[in-house]
Amino acid sequence: MAAIELSGVSFRYPGSTGEAIENLSLNVDDKATHALLGASGAGKTTMLNLLSGLLLPTSGRILFGDRDVSAVPAAKRNVAQVFQFPVLYPRMNVLENLVFPLCNNGWKKLDAAARALEIAKELGIEIVLEANVSALTLFERQLVAIGRALVRPDVALVLLDEPLTSVQPELKWRLRRTLRKVQADLGVTMIYVTHDQTEALTFASAVSVMHGGHILQTGSPMEVHDHPEHEYVGFFIGSPGMNFVKAEVKRGAVRVNGTALASTDHAEGECTVGFRADWAMLAPDGLPVEITGFRPDAVQNGMPVGIASLKHDGNRLHVRAEGLIAPGPSHVQLKHHMLFREGRRVA
Amino acid sequence: MLALDAITLRAGDPPLNHVFTDAAITVVLGANRSGKTLLCRVIAGLTSPHSGELLLDDAPLASYLERPVALVTQSFVNYPAWTVADNIASPLTARGVARSVRDTKARDIARKLGLEALLHRYPHELSGGQQQRVAIGRALAKGARVLVLDEPLVNLDYKLREALREELRGLLVAEGLTVIYTTTDPVDAFAMAHDVVLMEDHGFVQSGAPLDVYRQPKSFTAAALMSEPTVNALSDGKTVGAIRPEHVRLTRPGDGAVKELQLLVEEVETNGTHTFIHGLVGRDGWIVKVEGMVRAEIDRPLQVWVREADILRFESH
Amino acid sequence: MLPEQHNNRAWFAVLPVVFIVAFSGVVPLMTVVNYSVQDILDVNTRFFVGFDWYRDALRDERLHEAFLRQLMFSFTVLIVEVPLGILVARCISRSSRWTPFVLVLLAVPLLVPLNVVGTIWQIFARGDIGLLGAALNGLGIEFNYTQVPLHAWITLVLMDVWHWTSLVVLLAFAGLSAIPPVYYQAAALDGASRWQIFRHIELPHLRSVLLIAVLLRLMDSLMIYTEPLVLTGGGPGNTTTFLSQYLATMAVGQFDLGPAAAFSVIYFLVILLLCWLFHTMVVSREP
Repeated sequence: MAAIELSGVSFRYPGSTGEAIENLSLNVDDKATHALLGASGAGKTTMLNLLSGLLLPTSGRILFGDRDVSAVPAAKRNVAQVFQFPVLYPRMNVLENLVFPLCNNGWKKLDAAARALEIAKELGIEIVLEANVSALTLFERQLVAIGRALVRPDVALVLLDEPLTSVQPELKWRLRRTLRKVQADLGVTMIYVTHDQTEALTFASAVSVMHGGHILQTGSPMEVHDHPEHEYVGFFIGSPGMNFVKAEVKRGAVRVNGTALASTDHAEGECTVGFRADWAMLAPDGLPVEITGFRPDAVQNGMPVGIASLKHDGNRLHVRAEGLIAPGPSHVQLKHHMLFREGRRVA
Repeated sequence: MLALDAITLRAGDPPLNHVFTDAAITVVLGANRSGKTLLCRVIAGLTSPHSGELLLDDAPLASYLERPVALVTQSFVNYPAWTVADNIASPLTARGVARSVRDTKARDIARKLGLEALLHRYPHELSGGQQQRVAIGRALAKGARVLVLDEPLVNLDYKLREALREELRGLLVAEGLTVIYTTTDPVDAFAMAHDVVLMEDHGFVQSGAPLDVYRQPKSFTAAALMSEPTVNALSDGKTVGAIRPEHVRLTRPGDGAVKELQLLVEEVETNGTHTFIHGLVGRDGWIVKVEGMVRAEIDRPLQVWVREADILRFESH
Repeated sequence: MLPEQHNNRAWFAVLPVVFIVAFSGVVPLMTVVNYSVQDILDVNTRFFVGFDWYRDALRDERLHEAFLRQLMFSFTVLIVEVPLGILVARCISRSSRWTPFVLVLLAVPLLVPLNVVGTIWQIFARGDIGLLGAALNGLGIEFNYTQVPLHAWITLVLMDVWHWTSLVVLLAFAGLSAIPPVYYQAAALDGASRWQIFRHIELPHLRSVLLIAVLLRLMDSLMIYTEPLVLTGGGPGNTTTFLSQYLATMAVGQFDLGPAAAFSVIYFLVILLLCWLFHTMVVSREP
């Protein structure tokens, strides 16, 4: 059963001309971790607010299980959210922060405290329950904020808005691990919004790549990386992103300015050939390029390996290479490729 | 030629000596609070060093009437009420250069930075990446010989940083400036630097070409700084070994002597291109970097191998 | 921040400020201190009397009354202006295009000269032709601030509230605007009531800005002079004679320079003490 179902959802901000979200459909499985991945301006924040009920869709339906919540405001949706930085009630201690959502929903003080303690133990913050939140580190504060999101047992959905942003880089993975652990233990549905591919691919069991108010592709981390359905998905996922070169299919081969790069049985005509940095190599012949730089990222068996930056027809390309790569003219050959037409993958 | 002659940043700090290569990019790599920003401020003349002297072509930098140093900081600093064109031309305005000359120069620089279409916009109408380009344009317009960039890309999204880094390198090399570029990210050093200077606790740890520093770090600290993510430690009492995450293997390497270790997996991170496995070897936190997307069971032990030749050994204190 | 090299010439840059502070603050104050220990009969005849004037001043019944009146007045206006200011600030939309206009309009009373404020309210509250006074009398309520002390007080407090609440509004509005919107979103998801949002989010975030508002209003109200002088002249009787007016009567009206000077010093110290107490007990306890 889908825990969350969006069908044909559109949203337009009052006074603006275009749709921020346009005819968007999405299924999120029950008890799943789902990531919305995209650059700033892709519509992620609007999606968050539509899911939490801070914004109501101009058209389309949002279902939580069997319940149509399209017109239900935030307070009645049983949704919790964790923000980029820890949003806590500043003059309360940790326990008071944790029981706050429960007491607002008619829980008795004692029951609420028992539940808060349970969640605090799950997150490993039971020893700071009495501390004022201003005395905690950013890491601990964000744990408390996560605790407040998870404390209501009836919560239908937990939204995470780049929750690791304010945490020190070397502690990020610890917080993410804790998040995943509590998600598994408590069996809540989580939607994780981020511009960071590592966050999305690491945290979620399913990833939706967003661009311009649309979802371009939804799939497992492996799928969106290995089989991008869309040029943008290929570009956005992976480091560096996928390379694209204008090409045409003619006489059974993918050709760039006449040079055959790979054989194909695809229909003739114009297309874009896409390849990842490690699907290509520098070679004596092939696609002519100009090497502009080399960024080693390791030395393996005494040999530097890394990413060579190339220029082809004013386009920047990246190819994985070995050895000391000097600037100058060279060629690229493809071991593997994908074909795109009008942005969509065809082969 | 810019040189640091026994500069100490604060009382009690070690003296810094370095000659920056002319018309080249020197990346100063160090953790947060290692003194990078203070060094930038000293070179830019915003702060006096505690002792020592800065020399440009063997003349004290302090003796120049107008200091030939431009500074770009990590926050995007522009004049909010001025257009992109006026912002870029602002160092010329301060010198009383005629309007027509200023405009030509500003357009010239904007073209190099890909800002030509935005000349009449205001900073608040631009994206972060564009704002930082304007700030860099302003520094170029100053016509200084030395350009100091203090973590210029740190506040940008990951994808943008990737693109701008390459673009910036091409531009700076073409301008023939002596560039000092600070960062916490060794990837920046590999991507941009002719020379890299490692910095810790307000002192220099090591300097040299990026690959040389990577291959022959003088100390554990140097190895850790020039590694993304940081190195793993393997101690055997007398010496401490540093092992780079990319040198820990999930299959037994065929050649040479190898060490076999058990890693208790704590978390598996991936960006699609690489997978980072965090875990414990004994009581030390380790990170393993492998190519592609690799699965590993969390909270389970994982067999890993390290070639003896890949272990960088240092005396432990 | 960082230890930097010292340049001793920099001290010269500070000299103008030293002169200005000396001539505007220290020198006049010292003159007053000098007067306060002398008996001045005329310009050439004066005797040193030590702390006699201080002793007299501290035993002066009328001064005690004025002091109590002063405290009561300051306390009353604070009690009214601060909550009212917060309330008004919360009613102003943060994103409307009318917001700047509303803020400017609110600031208008702050721009009115003090004696004009007094005059406005003197006319406004008059029982025969004043809009407020005549209206009240028309409703059958006998209102006469020149005869009834309570009415005089009500008029004074109303006037001060009209004059100064905008200051609290502007400060509170700035404080409210600085609260990140995510706090409100979180509260909405937690099902917090309007009162809880105020109590647990807005008030804690407003704390430092409100402390400044209270401090400013406390100092200012302790020094109030012009408005009551114009409005009631301190009457009826002495019921609206506050410290500063009592002092002026002494110094200018009776030319008791010595006692007036002693009293000035006490007055100054009282204000300083109150503000210092407020600062150490409340402001500096900020985490």
